[in-house]
Amino acid sequence: MELLVCIKQVPDDTVNVTMGADGAPKLDDIAPVVNAFDTYALEMAARFKEANGGSVTVLTIGGEGAVPALRSCLSVGADRACRVEEASVCDPQGTAYLLSQASKKAGEQPFDVIFCGSESTDAASGQVGAQLAETLGLPVITNVLALEPKDGGISAKQETEDGYRVVEAACPCVVTIVKPDYEPRYPSIKSKMAARKMPVAVLTAADAQADASKFGPEAAKVQRAAISAPPQRQSGVKIQEKEAAEAVRRAMEIMVGQKLI
Amino acid sequence: MAFLINPEDQDLLDSVREFCEKEIKEQCKEYDVSGEWPAEIYAKAAELGYNGLEVPEEYGGLGLERITVAAIMEEFARADAGFVTTITASNLALKAVLIGGSEEQKQRCCDLLMEGNHGAFGLTEPMAGSDAGNSKTTAVRDGDEYILNGRKCFITNGGVASFYVITAMTDKSQGIKGMSVFVVEAGTPGLSTGNHENKMGIRTSNTCDVVMEDCRVPASAMMGNEGDGYKIAMKTLDMSRTWVGCGAVGIAQRAIDEAVAYGKQRVTFGKPILKNQALQFKIADMEIRVETARQMVAHALKLMDAGLPYSRESAIAKCYAGDVAVQNALESIQILGGYGYSREYPVEKLLRDAKIFQIYEGTNEIQRMVIGKSVIGKF
Repeated sequence: MELLVCIKQVPDDTVNVTMGADGAPKLDDIAPVVNAFDTYALEMAARFKEANGGSVTVLTIGGEGAVPALRSCLSVGADRACRVEEASVCDPQGTAYLLSQASKKAGEQPFDVIFCGSESTDAASGQVGAQLAETLGLPVITNVLALEPKDGGISAKQETEDGYRVVEAACPCVVTIVKPDYEPRYPSIKSKMAARKMPVAVLTAADAQADASKFGPEAAKVQRAAISAPPQRQSGVKIQEKEAAEAVRRAMEIMVGQKLI
Repeated sequence: MAFLINPEDQDLLDSVREFCEKEIKEQCKEYDVSGEWPAEIYAKAAELGYNGLEVPEEYGGLGLERITVAAIMEEFARADAGFVTTITASNLALKAVLIGGSEEQKQRCCDLLMEGNHGAFGLTEPMAGSDAGNSKTTAVRDGDEYILNGRKCFITNGGVASFYVITAMTDKSQGIKGMSVFVVEAGTPGLSTGNHENKMGIRTSNTCDVVMEDCRVPASAMMGNEGDGYKIAMKTLDMSRTWVGCGAVGIAQRAIDEAVAYGKQRVTFGKPILKNQALQFKIADMEIRVETARQMVAHALKLMDAGLPYSRESAIAKCYAGDVAVQNALESIQILGGYGYSREYPVEKLLRDAKIFQIYEGTNEIQRMVIGKSVIGKF
């Protein structure tokens, strides 16, 4: 099967982000990395390819700065990489539209399964995968933990609050991936060096026959009104009464005061 | 200042660092206590090609620059010195083969490492450590074969190697000129390994006796000619010493990393302890030591790259970096105080790991003899 994995670069989520004086997060010194959920998607796609044949293409929207991320994908299972040279994508729907158009040009053959991370670790809208399927008129299975081919289509384990359910879809289709029970592979020295020499295809919006009025600023359906840091965790209250009965009385007082009971 | 590597290789180094952080650093704590050889970690590392970093391109290697390999080795050592010892020991055996082996031997050993196997270098014996020429192991010619008998000790990777480089006396009457060297593959009848040493440090590396009892090898297993063994072994050590220095730099750097991380958090008398100039000076001295050691390693590697003599510089790099690793580990413990002495914190392990870097691959006393003689010359 021909597999496409859509990836996004995000600020390294292991680094503590601070807010600048202008109220925006300070991201300049934080190295961009491939969104964690997209790395799960790529690993799942790579394993699917290794088990069933086919090839994996990775696709992203971004300038030259996106090339290292694509190369890192090439070193851990992707066969081809493509980026859409476009900076002014407005919102998740615009992103989904541009990706949908690019997905028609990014591969040598039409894709059977399009993988997306279930969400990004920066904006975390969780919309792109589903909207991509909607734009392409394809079935979508969200929150996928595992998948395998079945009757020309796929059978996927979809995560639920209680466990998982098995959902099937015909190909082509879109799947959004959550954390499976394995970690993405590490690149070997050899694969890392080989990835340096692999080409990264570039598409413009025009190449993808994408209409700027559908992904540019004027197409925005949602706008960010404000951005703020999460509130600092308040320090707890220590109950240090010597007698247990006294401590319980104090705890009850606090809970009543907070209208918790 | 880390090793100055080309920007393309930085990405490679980042991925190695990620592996070290996630797969080695924490996991090795448990193995440090048990003394068990962490086969699973080594298997993962082998899959990523970490065993073949020094295999030359013409024998199927990746053609990495020496300085890049050094930066990677430092990362290994920062994570766990036993791990870097295992990798370095394989490369030590490889160096001997590349220096003195036939084309066939070179290709075979390179293939074994590229496939993720390990190598071991067997020179040391119970009565022949620094005095390597006092070897009791013998190799006696018998038709198209040699029969090896003797006992090697403190052999890194002894119990896990796929190939062994073994020195043996083919003519005891000639002294060191009667020493020869052989490549012996694991599984050869007559070759066996003893118990895994219960060591003070580098406990994630395998160290044991390698015993030859009427171990028959084909004459083609000899590298070079009869009598070439000592020369090949010494050339090998000359080169590999720099790499041992590289491992020591990694320990010394980790000592700084841990001391700084702790010293920023630990508050005494109302302020973090690193606000005290006395401790800032300690950190400065640690940094001066590690940086000069690292640059000495880099300099020795540069001489190798340029095809210039490097024996003295290699000895300086190993000797100095080994001393620096011990000094920095001691200072790191001092900065962490009582916690530094506790096994709950990582720095006491650094000291136990660092000590061997003043001993193996030629003690630092031997290094000083090499350096001193090279400066003074014959008179």
